[in-house]
Amino acid sequence: MLPDATAIASLLERAGIVGAELSSEGGPGLVVRVERAQAGAVVQGLKDSDHAFVFLVDLFGIDTGEHVDIVYHLRSIARDEELFVKVAHEYGSDLASVWETHPAALMPERETAEMFGLTLSGHPNPKHLLLTSGSAPMLLKSVEIRTAEEVRNR
Amino acid sequence: MSDARDTVAHAGWLTADKPSLPDEIPLTLKRVPSGVDEVMTEHLVVNMGPQHPSTHGVLRILVELDGEEVIACESVVGYLHRGIEKLAEHRRYSAVGTLMDRGDYVSGIHNEMAFALAAEKVADIGVPRRANWLRVLMGELNRIASHLVWYGTMGLDTGAMGQFLYAVRDREDLLDILEDVTGQRMMFNYVRPGGVLNDLTPRAEKKIRAFLSTFDAYLDEHHALLGGNEIFQARTRGIGVIDKETAIAFGLTGANLRASGVSFDVRRDRPYAAYDEMDFDIPVAESGDIYARYLVRIEEMRQAARICRQCIDGLPEGEHTAKVAKVLRPPAGEAYAAVESPRGELGVHLVSDGTDRPYRMRYRPPALFGLQAAEAITPGTFLADAVAIFGSVDVVLGEIDR
Amino acid sequence: MAIDRFTGENSILFIRSEQLFDWARRRSLWYMAFGIACCAIEGLMHASGPRFDFDRHGVFFRASPRQSDVMIVAGTVNHKMAETVKRLYDQMPEPKWVIAMGACASTGGPFREYPNVVMGVDKVVPVDVYIPGCPPRPESVQYAFLRLMDKIAENTEERLAARRDSDS
Repeated sequence: MLPDATAIASLLERAGIVGAELSSEGGPGLVVRVERAQAGAVVQGLKDSDHAFVFLVDLFGIDTGEHVDIVYHLRSIARDEELFVKVAHEYGSDLASVWETHPAALMPERETAEMFGLTLSGHPNPKHLLLTSGSAPMLLKSVEIRTAEEVRNR
Repeated sequence: MSDARDTVAHAGWLTADKPSLPDEIPLTLKRVPSGVDEVMTEHLVVNMGPQHPSTHGVLRILVELDGEEVIACESVVGYLHRGIEKLAEHRRYSAVGTLMDRGDYVSGIHNEMAFALAAEKVADIGVPRRANWLRVLMGELNRIASHLVWYGTMGLDTGAMGQFLYAVRDREDLLDILEDVTGQRMMFNYVRPGGVLNDLTPRAEKKIRAFLSTFDAYLDEHHALLGGNEIFQARTRGIGVIDKETAIAFGLTGANLRASGVSFDVRRDRPYAAYDEMDFDIPVAESGDIYARYLVRIEEMRQAARICRQCIDGLPEGEHTAKVAKVLRPPAGEAYAAVESPRGELGVHLVSDGTDRPYRMRYRPPALFGLQAAEAITPGTFLADAVAIFGSVDVVLGEIDR
Repeated sequence: MAIDRFTGENSILFIRSEQLFDWARRRSLWYMAFGIACCAIEGLMHASGPRFDFDRHGVFFRASPRQSDVMIVAGTVNHKMAETVKRLYDQMPEPKWVIAMGACASTGGPFREYPNVVMGVDKVVPVDVYIPGCPPRPESVQYAFLRLMDKIAENTEERLAARRDSDS
């Protein structure tokens, strides 16, 4: 289930991706951390490789306090392997869509972009998915929920 | 695969960057030659929902129609967005179960189970064997209940009304059982990190056995009522075909994926709870049309009853929960746990920072991916088929919007 | 006829037209099938089902707001949905009533801390009956309808009394 880290590392090198960090300690599995500019190429490369990571399980973000981590959870059905590609995005930066590689990313990307205040590019329908336009990016740690006072005096 | 991309790009006229408020529906009625003499026709934009009998919740679908044929289709969600993921960051671990219940509200046990599994992974809690068997038992009963809702509403989408009442009748028996065991008809809050809330009483066991003794005959009745109906078959055979490549490309899981020929089931391939001790079949169909999805779900109900029988006969002795601290403070870490909910692979990606509240809880909604796929294959079908297609992928808006 | 048992044969019944119409209205309240969230499964699906049969009270669902008397707001209303709720309420013809079903529709429920959630549908439309619960049992929803029927009857009496007072 856990893919061989060295095999993945050499796969990425052959695809021309440099500087990828792989780790499986303390995380949900094998985590591949790459630069923002490489994300699309990495996802495409993993899909085209003989590991065949053709299935996008999930695409979401985590606000680490300093930046937003975008996580691509990929799965290979043929080899029954899973890995997580993590990409660090500055607050307010651009999220390049990977929908042409994985059409499954269409709606999750819209949601992730609006929830974390990123702009979505290369997407056929970059509208907000869940929130009305003009809402704050709700999943950022800096955005507060209502206080007990506000709730009591509804 | 290229079809999927072309379909999405074709919906371009709907995708200008406008806010999705009701008043902003673009009223560009394109005049096109109808092909009959000199008559010009117009493409009509029809808005379905969010208040609509067949949108399974507050789903809004905009369709551009050329007569009866759907040219472009866009779904608008977010009418039930309540911030489950955000609120989970402000609740203790024992209270997040109540939030998860209200996500996919038709199958609460599976939602709670996904979160409990993720919390147990992060906190490294072992679950007693009896608790795992109880989780499987309740989960499969909930699966039957959820599929009955789907079965009832799928018929409604194609115009049949009788089977809905039969489905609700059987669901009432199931909710009686679930209420007996968990105390609630819908928001169970039963599966907690470490085990389950309480044990099975002899009275509940009797009810379960009574239900299981008649369910197979009732299921045959349901299948004959809807699936054996000529009109239903004409409405669903060959309609809404999702082939294998499209299904994988759009991230489909669960019955939707298995009806397209890919045999992936979280219960068998990523076993959790006591599923590795259970003996059950996983139905897979090849045609990928609505009828295939219907058949897969009917068979899943039968298999779920089979698992329930094994559970109730072979329930091991032991504790129904591990000893877990009242205020759970797991060490910092990250984990992903998935369950096979009636809609597909329901995953929870949990990030813990060592405090008593989750740092980030991501709820992977299987119905969202189903909705995307339905939206992509609808252009080219008729409007009535569009309704049936959106019904067949079993969307529950509570899960999509969270 | 059965009514002869009460009135005796060949008798004449007097009733004010408002009382007759309100009796007809409250004995056949048709609600708009408008389930937003979880409460829809309990209060709309199961309450109309074979066990908790709603039809015996004369209550039936209509798909269109233009054909319904009651709007049961079953579920959480958020900013995106609030517009639609208001619009549907406006589309209903008079006389109309609103039942706020569940904790979410009454006060925002378990999600009231989230800024996108409207803390109670009474901020958007006037509510006649509130049903507590998460979700309320189908019997609670039926009881709410019975209370609504009483409320309609009270209103009739009040209106008639007010007119009587203003006439005299």
